[in-house]
Amino acid sequence: MNATATHVPIIEVRGLRKTFTTRKRGAKGENGRTAVEAVAGIDLDVPQGEVFAFLGPNGAGKTTTLRILTTLLPATGGTARVAGFDVTSQQREVRARIGYVGQQGGTDLDHATGRENLHLAARLYGLSKGDAAARAADLLECFDLAALADRETSTYSGGQRRRLDVALGMVGHPAVLFLDEPTTGLDPQNRMNLWEQVRRLKADGATIFLTTHYLDEADALADDVAVMDHGQIIARGTPQELKDRMGVSTLDEVFLTLTGRALRDTDSEGVLS
Amino acid sequence: MTSMITPSTSVRPTPGQASLVTEVALLTQRRARELLREPQWIVSGLATPILYLVLFAPLLKDIPSPLFGGLSVVQMFVPGMLVLFAFGSGQGIGWTVIHELDTGVIERFRVSPVRRVSLLLGSVIRDGLFFIACALVVCLVAVPFGFVIHPLGLILTLLLLALLTGCVSAMSAALGLTLKNIGALAASVMGMQLPLTLLAGALLPISMGPTWLQVLAHLDPFYYAVSAARDLSSGVILSGTVGLGFLVVIALFLLVLAWASRVYRHAVA
Repeated sequence: MNATATHVPIIEVRGLRKTFTTRKRGAKGENGRTAVEAVAGIDLDVPQGEVFAFLGPNGAGKTTTLRILTTLLPATGGTARVAGFDVTSQQREVRARIGYVGQQGGTDLDHATGRENLHLAARLYGLSKGDAAARAADLLECFDLAALADRETSTYSGGQRRRLDVALGMVGHPAVLFLDEPTTGLDPQNRMNLWEQVRRLKADGATIFLTTHYLDEADALADDVAVMDHGQIIARGTPQELKDRMGVSTLDEVFLTLTGRALRDTDSEGVLS
Repeated sequence: MTSMITPSTSVRPTPGQASLVTEVALLTQRRARELLREPQWIVSGLATPILYLVLFAPLLKDIPSPLFGGLSVVQMFVPGMLVLFAFGSGQGIGWTVIHELDTGVIERFRVSPVRRVSLLLGSVIRDGLFFIACALVVCLVAVPFGFVIHPLGLILTLLLLALLTGCVSAMSAALGLTLKNIGALAASVMGMQLPLTLLAGALLPISMGPTWLQVLAHLDPFYYAVSAARDLSSGVILSGTVGLGFLVVIALFLLVLAWASRVYRHAVA
């Protein structure tokens, strides 16, 4: 932690909370409404220029946190600043400085080619036609998509599409790139390509904030890791610090020691308590 | 040393954003490209009004023309059918929006600095232009059936009805964004289409019907559009009916657009 103290945090989260109200069919009392606290008051600083991995079991609150940080979801309480701007009151400033790749992707699949996807995204950031074409060509090259550039994206394989998703997240030269489970379902070659791009972006000075279930990925990529469970951050440190602290040799073991072995998807109210 | 640099400016110079006009133009082009690369939609879109013209309009030929306010059958029928077509040209966008919610495209745009209203206008303008282009073809096809083109009247008819297409398009897009469900969207849009167009007298003039129906029709904004379109298509430009038609349709357009852009701004995907 002290290694990061000299840096200005590019993500600053204080007391962040998100409560969802859900309605249960057939339930009695309070009209069957239950409040689920998905994010239960977290504090988090992410220093500029690092790769930060957010770990946790399904339903831990990772994606909810990410969606608040990317202006997609309003918080119930607390504050969050990204790239120096408040995610609630300065959404436009935040959006101009971040990239986001959600679990669903984001590639336009309706009769658009890879190049057209990137070109449009670049133009919407205010680039001229020529600059946008250059940016698109550059990203297609980096992500090994040049050969498919002018094919419609609906013909892309899963890995090709995912690479384009991430390329689209990078079009605007984001100061912070948010990646929600970027490598889920990818083969090793595609994962390597993505890791390479993440490292390249970091070398360019950007901050990368990613969630992942692959702990080897966090180990290989991340400068810093936070483990979230039941809406709270239960551990924070470099991958090595966490392993040392628990006296184990892999992040997998750290993860299971912290969060237990019980399956999490069986009861959605697990986050209630 | 990095501690001296503020995060907002350190990594890159302040990123840009396209102007509103550029944004709308780019997003309209994107929608137009989708449509042009799926020409079966254009064909099926055109087929509906032409089938009405060929297979339905002949049924009306023995009805005495005073019932149509002195207009010939075709002259009465084409504007009403164009109103049906204007509705149809705008209704489909909600399906696209739901598809884009599923593929994450909308989410990607929402995290970018793109203005929400540009996303909406891109669809609305595409649909309006699509309507105008196809409606022109339909009117030309109607000429051999006896339809007389009054150029100024026709231009104003198409402008008026393109605004109607815009209303339906904005509504369908906003409903898609809030309902997020194809079944619910279909039920709402189709549920509106029949009462709104039948009550407007799109197929036959409401003046042929009983008083209660005529009273009810006056509550339907599409009724004013149909009446104005019939006047305009027969070459009557300066009439109270035409003025009222434009007034109602423009007011409706602004209302729906304001509501839909609100939905676009606040919707949580």
